[in-house]
Amino acid sequence: MTSTKTELAIIGAGPAGLSAALAAAQAGVSVTVLEEYPRPGGQYLRGVHHNQPLPPLTPAESLGRERLAQLAHPKITTHTGTMVWGLENHTLSLHGPDCPPKVEAKAIIIATGARERVLPFPGWTLPGVMTLGGAQILAKEHGLRPGKRVLIAGSGPLLLAVAAKLAQIPGTNVVGILEATRPGGWMAHAPALAGNTDRLREGWHYLQTFLKKKIPYRFGHGITQAGGEESLEGVKIARLNRQGEPLPGSEDYLKVDTLCLGFGFIPNTALTQVAGCELEYAPTRGGWVPKVNEHFETSQHSIYAAGETCSLDGASAALVKGEIAGLAVARSLGYLTVQDFQEKFLPLKRRLRPLRRFGAMLNTLFTPPVGLNTLIKDDTILCRCEEVTAGEVRAAIQGGATTLSDLKNWTRVGQGPCQGRTCGALLAQQIALETGQNPQDAGYFRSRPPVKPVPLESLA
Amino acid sequence: MVTNVFVYNSSEAHMKFLQKHPVRLLKFALPKTADVVIIGGGIIGAACAYYLSAAGLSVHLVERHFPASGTSRACDGLILLWDKSGPELALGQESIRLWGQVEEHLEEDFGFERSGTILLAENGEQLQAGEKRAQALRESGQRAEILPAGRLATLEPEISPHLAGGILFPDDLQVDPRRATLALLAAAKRQGVKLQAESEVIDIQHAPGEGGGVRGVVTSQGVIATPRVVCAAGVWSNHIARMVGIDLPTRPRKGHILVTARRPGFIHHPLLEGGYVTTVESAHDARQVALVAEMTTSGKLLLGSSREFCGYDRTVSLSAIQELATRATRFLPGLESTPIIRSYAGLRPWSPDGLPLIGPTRVPGFYLATGHEGAGICLAPVTGRLVTQMITEEARRPEAEVVAPGRCL
Ligand SMILES: Cc1cc2nc3c(=O)[nH]c(=O)nc-3n(C[C@H](O)[C@H](O)[C@H](O)COP(=O)(O)OP(=O)(O)OC[C@H]3O[C@@H](n4cnc5c(N)ncnc54)[C@H](O)[C@@H]3O)c2cc1C
Repeated sequence: MTSTKTELAIIGAGPAGLSAALAAAQAGVSVTVLEEYPRPGGQYLRGVHHNQPLPPLTPAESLGRERLAQLAHPKITTHTGTMVWGLENHTLSLHGPDCPPKVEAKAIIIATGARERVLPFPGWTLPGVMTLGGAQILAKEHGLRPGKRVLIAGSGPLLLAVAAKLAQIPGTNVVGILEATRPGGWMAHAPALAGNTDRLREGWHYLQTFLKKKIPYRFGHGITQAGGEESLEGVKIARLNRQGEPLPGSEDYLKVDTLCLGFGFIPNTALTQVAGCELEYAPTRGGWVPKVNEHFETSQHSIYAAGETCSLDGASAALVKGEIAGLAVARSLGYLTVQDFQEKFLPLKRRLRPLRRFGAMLNTLFTPPVGLNTLIKDDTILCRCEEVTAGEVRAAIQGGATTLSDLKNWTRVGQGPCQGRTCGALLAQQIALETGQNPQDAGYFRSRPPVKPVPLESLA
Repeated sequence: MVTNVFVYNSSEAHMKFLQKHPVRLLKFALPKTADVVIIGGGIIGAACAYYLSAAGLSVHLVERHFPASGTSRACDGLILLWDKSGPELALGQESIRLWGQVEEHLEEDFGFERSGTILLAENGEQLQAGEKRAQALRESGQRAEILPAGRLATLEPEISPHLAGGILFPDDLQVDPRRATLALLAAAKRQGVKLQAESEVIDIQHAPGEGGGVRGVVTSQGVIATPRVVCAAGVWSNHIARMVGIDLPTRPRKGHILVTARRPGFIHHPLLEGGYVTTVESAHDARQVALVAEMTTSGKLLLGSSREFCGYDRTVSLSAIQELATRATRFLPGLESTPIIRSYAGLRPWSPDGLPLIGPTRVPGFYLATGHEGAGICLAPVTGRLVTQMITEEARRPEAEVVAPGRCL
């Protein structure tokens, strides 16, 4: 297949990408959607193609499913199983079984979502220990239960969503949810709750489910160790102090065969980086994120970053952000008058405000406490690609490394296939802990093409 | 406005810096002194530090970011002789000998391998040109073995069958340039060198007027009083030299490299296509590409490399890595389905006549050690030793004449 041209290319077919595609296509823009997975929907709408998908749990999920069903719009071409590995001069480089090698677009919306944040601890590489996302894929995509006795741990609202989803599956016993943070700061954020009745109802609904099914939900608790011969057999849990350090003497043992872990998300900014978009450090938005205006246009003309890529504030917000970006592109290409655009944009902007405030609140409240890093021993592997241990990293920091780039120079972290996506934030945290500097001073691993591994022949 | 008692020859750039970072002035409290200040913690600065300290001098090395953060981590690690001739070949031969000594002396493992290299010839013409090189090298006492297609295929089964043959140069070496730089610096530190990382040189103090010598180096972490500076700042040497009023003719020449997923044992020697030398010697601004394939100690292949003049831009260009990929599949078709996991680009310090600029300049005490283009890893030890001899010995050595900076300043 030869290179093609399109008006708008959208990378990622999750809630933000779908919404952007529909908003633009309905205004008349020709849209090409590129999705790495074999099916559109993203992590959030995974498994909807099943004959009997699990019932939607939230209004956002219902709306997302509706939009997914409309993707067959005549103005939208979708390439699934297609990975975008480069972006230069408004041209995307693609890799996939049946996609053109390049797509040139007048405008580009990067809606590549976020990835899970991991925090290592002794035993975290045992089979049976998985991320919340991994458990979701098993449940939603394959209709499988991850295990019989499942413990959910980490921090953040996704713990609840996954616990509720897994509790729907017959034969799965969710034995508990351990939330590492404490609810202490909640009252200070009460104003952010305004306008978020949907999301509060969602939370309330989860808690009701847990009550009914007798699933304990404990704050200020975490895992200190996972053990088992060949796969997970049990975990040590402990109460954590405010800083997140395990309290001596509070340890307990739980027999489980599955541990689902999650500590929030990290925005996927790789493509915004290779496109030359400026990033900024904004902890309430999830760390290093592209600078965007209120239409989600980045510092690069007609390149947009929507959804979790530009700030972590959940699926409901992603649906709105995508729609805004899609409309903004339609306007810039002349398919909407300024007036039409404003008419559509202003209510969306109003709808988005409380959602983003809520998102920022969650990001603040559920920031994994730094004390959890005390579980990282010197022989714990931090960079899984190059098998670099925490001990090696700490020695380099003591030797004077103060940035991720220094660490990459001294050890080999970030030189493997993931280009530091998995360990970057973790390493920045280690530098911050050892030197007392702020995590943002460590910088971030620069993404360069190919942003993910591609076969040589696809490059050629 | 803060007045700074230690600055007596402040350039405009320096004053601007001080205005922007008044806090940094606190660190200016204690002036340090050194016999020599080396600017730049790349392979050249590291080698200079190693030999100068071994000669008993007190040495300060100032590096803007972190050791090996410039070109010496964004390159290959081949130590080649067959691409050199005349005076450069003599320097290369000496450097290879010194690399052997360094390997014996240093505790650190830096991927030193007596790997040899193979020049690949796609047709009879290239093979003949290769044979000429082989002959010239033999006359200088180096080994070279002509490889007919069959023998080449035995040595390197993955090479495309369309090749006419190759030449094996068994004396060539391979190192991991990043680790070699760190290792040389670690040894230099053991010999007493003071390493000042995260510290940028913003001015060089020198006595006013024609013939005024170096007095000190102003860094973002304070002033170091010194009568001698060795400028080993790679492509950024131009900025440093301008601080003493010297305009260098060197230019950044960008090169790209692709990194594959692990394929241990895929090739057994570093491989370079016959056209490589043409790209090195070409004076065109437009991009030139020639295959250089090298196996790293971690089992990944480095696939290079390109040459182009495009300023100080270090970003990876898509068209460059695509040209590299096309090139690599032409010579190594078995790599087609191997994942490329990342790419990078580095800037070679190019000099107009293809030889480095090593030695004193018209500013007394200001020495240059740059302009090594694509041979900085190879020529690092000989450069460090030449600089040391120039500083410690009064008499000028004849072999230093060919690299004397005066020829192109
Ligand atoms: C793609 C590619 C492949 C190559 N392959 C080979 C090969 O196989 N064999 C070989 O021999 N050579 C090779 N080279 C060439 C080799 O990499 C260079 O010649 C060599 O690295 C130059 O070293 P350097 O120390 O002069 O420069 P650098 O390594 O760039 O060091 C200069 C240092 O100076 C510092 N600096 C700059 N300004 C300041 C300041 N104001 N204050 C303080 N510090 C400062 C920089 O941060 C940097 O660390 C290759 C180069 C490229 C790009």
